[in-house]
Amino acid sequence: MAFIADKQTLEDLNLLGKFKPQSIYNLFNKVRTTGGERLLESMFQQPLTDPDAINIRSGIFRYFQDNALVFPVSQTVFLRAENFLSQGTGGNKLWVLAMSLRRKITATLLRDGQFAALQDGMAATVELLRSLRAFAAVLDTAGSPYHAQATELKALLANQRLDGVVAASGHLSAWQQARYDFLLRNALRDEIEKILNHLYALDVYMAVSEVAKARNFTYARALPKAQNLVRTTALYHPALEHAVANSIDLDSQSNLLFLTGANMAGKSTFMKSFGIAVYLAHMGFPVAAHHMEFSVRDGLYSSINVPDNLSMGYSHFYAEVLRVKTVAQDVAAGKDLVVIFDELFKGTNVKDAYDATLAVTAAFAAYRHCFFLISTHIIEVGEALKKERIGGQYAYMPTVMEGTIPRYPYRLKEGITNDRHGMMIIGNEQILEMM
Amino acid sequence: MLFTTDKQTLEDLNIFGKYGSDAVYHIFNRTVTRGGAAVLEEMFQYPLTDEKAINRRSGIIQYFAAAGKDFPFPASYFDAIAPYLANTDERSKLTGDAPNIARKISHLVAMDGDTVMIHKGIKALAALLKGMAQFISLLDIAAGHPYRLDKDAIDALLAAPDFAPVLALAGVAKLSQDQLVAYDTLFRFRHRPAIQRLLTYIYQLDVYLSVAKVGAARGFASPKALPKERQVLNLQGVYHPQVKNAVPNNLHISPESNVLFLTGANMAGKSTFMKSLSIALFLAHMGFPVPARVMEFSALDGIYTTINLPDNLGMGASHFYAEVLRVKKMAYELGQGKNLFIVFDELFRGTNVKDAYEATIAITQAFARKRNSLFVISTHIIEAGEVLREKCSNVRFLYLPTRMNGHHPVYTYTLAEGITDDRHGMVIIHNEGILDMLKAGLHKK
Repeated sequence: MAFIADKQTLEDLNLLGKFKPQSIYNLFNKVRTTGGERLLESMFQQPLTDPDAINIRSGIFRYFQDNALVFPVSQTVFLRAENFLSQGTGGNKLWVLAMSLRRKITATLLRDGQFAALQDGMAATVELLRSLRAFAAVLDTAGSPYHAQATELKALLANQRLDGVVAASGHLSAWQQARYDFLLRNALRDEIEKILNHLYALDVYMAVSEVAKARNFTYARALPKAQNLVRTTALYHPALEHAVANSIDLDSQSNLLFLTGANMAGKSTFMKSFGIAVYLAHMGFPVAAHHMEFSVRDGLYSSINVPDNLSMGYSHFYAEVLRVKTVAQDVAAGKDLVVIFDELFKGTNVKDAYDATLAVTAAFAAYRHCFFLISTHIIEVGEALKKERIGGQYAYMPTVMEGTIPRYPYRLKEGITNDRHGMMIIGNEQILEMM
Repeated sequence: MLFTTDKQTLEDLNIFGKYGSDAVYHIFNRTVTRGGAAVLEEMFQYPLTDEKAINRRSGIIQYFAAAGKDFPFPASYFDAIAPYLANTDERSKLTGDAPNIARKISHLVAMDGDTVMIHKGIKALAALLKGMAQFISLLDIAAGHPYRLDKDAIDALLAAPDFAPVLALAGVAKLSQDQLVAYDTLFRFRHRPAIQRLLTYIYQLDVYLSVAKVGAARGFASPKALPKERQVLNLQGVYHPQVKNAVPNNLHISPESNVLFLTGANMAGKSTFMKSLSIALFLAHMGFPVPARVMEFSALDGIYTTINLPDNLGMGASHFYAEVLRVKKMAYELGQGKNLFIVFDELFRGTNVKDAYEATIAITQAFARKRNSLFVISTHIIEAGEVLREKCSNVRFLYLPTRMNGHHPVYTYTLAEGITDDRHGMVIIHNEGILDMLKAGLHKK
């Protein structure tokens, strides 16, 4: 079953998007090949829901990070070879030879570039295969999760029919050229394609593990669903510089974190960090945390930047209600979800928001196999929830007042904030004195 | 003194709006001429603060509404006149020299564009002068009439002896070369300022006639401005001009009740009522017909509304802070001793309940001390209302009621006295079945 993450969630967390400079996808998009980019994109689009598959993938990343392997060929050689291999050729050897001869003749007579291009592509392919064989020879994967793939790649490369091609050196005769052309682009077509796919995967593994190493990310451990927990220490936002780390620890005993704090105190950033970590962890990708383990979930829902269309007034509230309804449907259907609601019901008056947040939060919290992260500026809801004993955790992002200027440490504290700066801000602005 | 308002207010009330939208400006924008449209826009941009000026303009519009006249000139006149007058190049002036052979031949084939334009402009302007003289002579306007000043000025402009031959023309279709040359000098060079002034009067006439027509067609009332010192607002049957089947409301505000504390559910029509009231006041200060049955008001110095306040999260300002800054701006203006009309919808919704409660009381109390301004404040914090009832004598409590028809709320949109605690946030959540859904899901497991 596919991992559920809808458009709103992906937008909130800025996960996808090749052309968005700050997206998480771009953070990892350090691949060298277009095939690698495609693979990376599909990994981003389809997170996994099987803990074993997740652990295998993150194990592969870790293997590459630990061994610091270098991508076997240069980008230009790969590009030339890929271009050559992707084009088709004649159906039988004789035809290929005839085509090759014709190109050679036109090249001498008409200064046509086709034959030269063919030669160049062939040379690049020879170089590619040769360096791949060298790479495979020293690859020691025993006991690592990459072993299965590595064995397959080694077997493909060991194909005896490739020996001649790899040994070929210097100038190729027209007959040789035609023979190898037929071999690579016709007879061994499937095998070559498999080798290329292995290369794309290699590319992604190396790129991601390099990013993980450079940024000090760690790999999350996926646990079976039944364990019902998500545990992180020192979690931070991967795209921010100097991000402050916080820990979060949810399980079926305590499946809700109720977050309060002033507007600028960093509630949203913390919630996004958590959402991104959950998503990346389900992809088997490295996460921005010191340590993380989690039971796999069926999906992730967030409601952080519900389009802030206040001019629509009431219907903004209605949009939020519909969003909550979507989530409620999936939760009630028995799905195990991670749900993030930032400033729930901010589109309505304080009183309605209070009632609605209280009722909805309490109803959700009863689903012990789902994890909730809910923030609000209506601190009174927290007190009321405490009385209902729903077994959640209460944390807040503090504001430290230095004189009349607020400072934000971005470090979670336990409890419910009693930062009420409303009247103080009015006082600072000297409004009452003015009148 | 200028009537003060700001961008937020204009957007809240949708005075100008975007092109093609349901803006208030577009209701009245029925002028024939482009110059008229510009005059209309200027009137919208600079409402009046002087009760005499307001009553004068309102009187003129009333007069033309009663007279039921149409604007006497086609738009094509002005399309010819505008480029003609815009060309102030002396070299393009028509000359009476004996035409040389070359020019004659070239004119025989086709006249050049500039000359054609100049001929057209002269003819249109001549026709306009004649037409205006006739139109104005047919108006029956006694001394003391609001339009009398304009009429006298127009008469004086047309009475210039140089214009006599133009006014005496039988028709403008065939003008001799000599006539064309003479009038060109007259219109474009010698009497240019007079012509411009006359055009301004004609554009204003266009506005008065078109506004009068819109007012009559929509059944709007002419507002009556009262002296500032009276400080009253008497509105009967006021409604929102852009809402279909809008429900009219009556309202009387005096210094003894100059703060309206408005409560009601989300859809009950609070914002719409506040907008209707503000639009009526805005139009009234322009001297325009207002969507109401009767309107009398003391002229004010400005209008400020805060209905759809955007929060500037990009700049790091929270919604609450945006609200505070907005209140600060009002406070500053009030501190200057201005008489203002101030509207706040859902004051302080960007903060927690306690802050909102305290801030609402503090701010409303401070407002209530300004007896010479009018305030409308809507909120859901009804507890603030109880406190204010004890503390301030001039706060008036109104609400927009909701009747529950089973599970479905029905709104009357008619003001009632008092405070209501109607709220529907939870009703909507119940209607969507969210909580039931979650409860049912639990039992299934």
